[in-house]
Amino acid sequence: MNDPAFWDRLQFAFTITYHYLFPQLTMGLAPLLVYWKWRALRTGDEGYARAARFWARIFGLTFAVGVVTGIPMEFQFGTNWAGFSRYSGNLIGQTLAMEGMFAFFMESALVGALVWGERRLGARAHFGAAVGVALGSWLSGYFILVTNAFMQHPTGFAVAADGRLHLASMAGYLGNPWAFAMFAHNQMAALVTGGFAVSAVGAWYALRGEHSGQARLFLRSGITVGLLASVLVAFPTGDIQAKMVAAHQGPALAAMEGRFHSGNKAEINLIGQPDVRGQRLDNPIRIPGLLSFLAFGNVQSDVRGLDAFPADTWPTNIEILYYSFHIMAGLGTIFVVLMGAGAVQLLRGHLEQSRVLLWLLLSAFPFPFIANTAGWTVAELGRQPWLVYGLFRTEQGVSAVVNSGAVVFTLVGFVGLYFVVGLLYFSLFCRELSRGPVEAPHD
Amino acid sequence: MIEASYAILVLMLTAFLVLEGWDFGAGLLHFVVGRNERDRGVVIAAIGPLWIWHEVWLVAFGGMTFVFFPAVMASAFAGYYLALFLLLWCLILRGVAIEARGHMRDALWREAWDFAFATSNLLLSVLIGVALGNVIRGEPLDADGNFTLSFFTDFGVHGEVGILDWYTISIGIFTVALFAAHGASYLAWRTEGTVHDRSERLARCLWPAVLTLLLGTAVETARVRQELFTGMIHRPLAWLALACVAGGGLAALVGQWRRRESAAVAGSCVLISGLMAAGAVGVFPVMLHSTLAAGDSVTAYRGAADARGLRLALSWWPVAFVLAVSYFVFVFRYYRGKVRADTDAQGY
Repeated sequence: MNDPAFWDRLQFAFTITYHYLFPQLTMGLAPLLVYWKWRALRTGDEGYARAARFWARIFGLTFAVGVVTGIPMEFQFGTNWAGFSRYSGNLIGQTLAMEGMFAFFMESALVGALVWGERRLGARAHFGAAVGVALGSWLSGYFILVTNAFMQHPTGFAVAADGRLHLASMAGYLGNPWAFAMFAHNQMAALVTGGFAVSAVGAWYALRGEHSGQARLFLRSGITVGLLASVLVAFPTGDIQAKMVAAHQGPALAAMEGRFHSGNKAEINLIGQPDVRGQRLDNPIRIPGLLSFLAFGNVQSDVRGLDAFPADTWPTNIEILYYSFHIMAGLGTIFVVLMGAGAVQLLRGHLEQSRVLLWLLLSAFPFPFIANTAGWTVAELGRQPWLVYGLFRTEQGVSAVVNSGAVVFTLVGFVGLYFVVGLLYFSLFCRELSRGPVEAPHD
Repeated sequence: MIEASYAILVLMLTAFLVLEGWDFGAGLLHFVVGRNERDRGVVIAAIGPLWIWHEVWLVAFGGMTFVFFPAVMASAFAGYYLALFLLLWCLILRGVAIEARGHMRDALWREAWDFAFATSNLLLSVLIGVALGNVIRGEPLDADGNFTLSFFTDFGVHGEVGILDWYTISIGIFTVALFAAHGASYLAWRTEGTVHDRSERLARCLWPAVLTLLLGTAVETARVRQELFTGMIHRPLAWLALACVAGGGLAALVGQWRRRESAAVAGSCVLISGLMAAGAVGVFPVMLHSTLAAGDSVTAYRGAADARGLRLALSWWPVAFVLAVSYFVFVFRYYRGKVRADTDAQGY
């Protein structure tokens, strides 16, 4: 609470966390929609077309909430983080503007046609709309991640005489290696959310004995995508991301693992509680050498602990960072096991009889959202105390003219408004679920 | 280069106001032209599938402000902190109302969201008008380009001003009238039956009122920001913009009376574009005008991004804009013609 940027940070954290619940689902569903539309086009099988129709309605609903909660994100760069906008606007303005101009325009122009235009457009053009929406949503993600990657690992900039950042190389800025690693990892995580959501709805219908053809299709598509994405999110994408953190954000890696002291044969702590004041990890269960291997490819490597870094470069909340990382990694492991079991039963043709597994698939649907949120918490808390890593500290970035009372007021406003939006989204989602994948195409 | 960036920004904002002006106008007339649930369904069908596409222009405008004039964005957005959040919340409420309304066939449910929809559109029109009035009147900028604004001070237009004063409120009222006429013309063009007839009657009364109010606001503006008009004299673009205002206003007025619905809508769009262009040309290069000391004003030259960034953005923007125009053509063709509540409601 001594942090002068506390309320601005809390507001941004709250609004971005809430907002990102929706785009991760739309980005995760979009490739599945393309796949079903493509199968429907190739085989003429009405089942695929019906699945696409049902999930396009969910997509449209989710997209609308993503839009209304996304607009405040862009504006907060100016309202709450004017210092940051002045300092680095020459760079991050580029990608934020490109997101609107290239990606968001495309997605929003086509989403209405995707949800409602099946008859009017004809099969081929409607498939094209699905491709366009998918492309737009992933491109949107790329531009946002380039912006974030610049904050994590700045590239392509020069410091001007007035102390602000100037663009030195567009290729350097857009081709930030951190952005590619993060994009790959993040999109796989979004696909995990999409796969789990589809298989959960499939499990729901299978358990209730409704829409059996569609339930089977949802389970098959959802588990295939879910298993592939759950593996890819850990390896190679998560692994590459972790190696980048090890190479460029030493204090963040140490804090994620609760590693207070340097040394070789660094261990991975499966569980344990960090005691920051005592500079140790309580009740750990560890695997020696694994962290050295994962970070640098050699069990003997030295992995620096927090003691190797000046205290004013330590992440400001080591506990939340540590727990978020362990929740993300732990859930990721469970996802592979669960989807693996689902795939085995699917191949044996026993899935629809294994009620326990169906129940597990159904109740698993919130956890990819939690894992995605935890992963982003790791990225953003690991970046602290920097707003632009190594260059610009978080407390320098806030709007000097906005007092914290105003920020508390708007934060409370967002909490209230988003609570209503969440209730509505949930009830509308449930209505779609109870209506089921039965609709004929709209006129 | 800076002039081109400024022009692009004005173009993006104008596109947003023209397109979203239909939604705001139709929305604030929701209960006036839609006296029963069926008629209100027609209003929603006319804008429901389009509002996201229109609102994206605001996002794109915000993004282009960031890339071209980061320092202006930082000053203005922080200075108008509470007012901007009020605007964002109204936008959220409006979007949620459109989406939520159609999902349940229940009279009370629909009435509640209809009310939220109409109220948020009215508030949005007032807020946008007041915001534009603020840009013309100026802000109490200090030498570093920072300012804060209370909601109101003494309602005067000089010195320590607030967001609301006699001038900005009058621009707010004018904007409500303008969007109402713009929306009524749009509804007359896109609908049939009772909604069409009521919208047409309304548009016929509203356009003369708007044009009268426009003369009043022009006189006011000459008092508040004299240089807006003196700046126009030597700029041929401003004359062109004023010709658009006159021609557009006339086309809207006459088109509505002669039942040339598309001509009226086109006239209304030209009128709004002309007003934006005339204002933008008149005040250039000042983007944030200081009410305390004219020397502290933030000009486009002072607030722009570095040359390399501008050059880069100016090189990719045309590509993106051509794409956006092609989506625009697609959307326009896809949703052309009169809407019918039963088949075009699209779940709204």
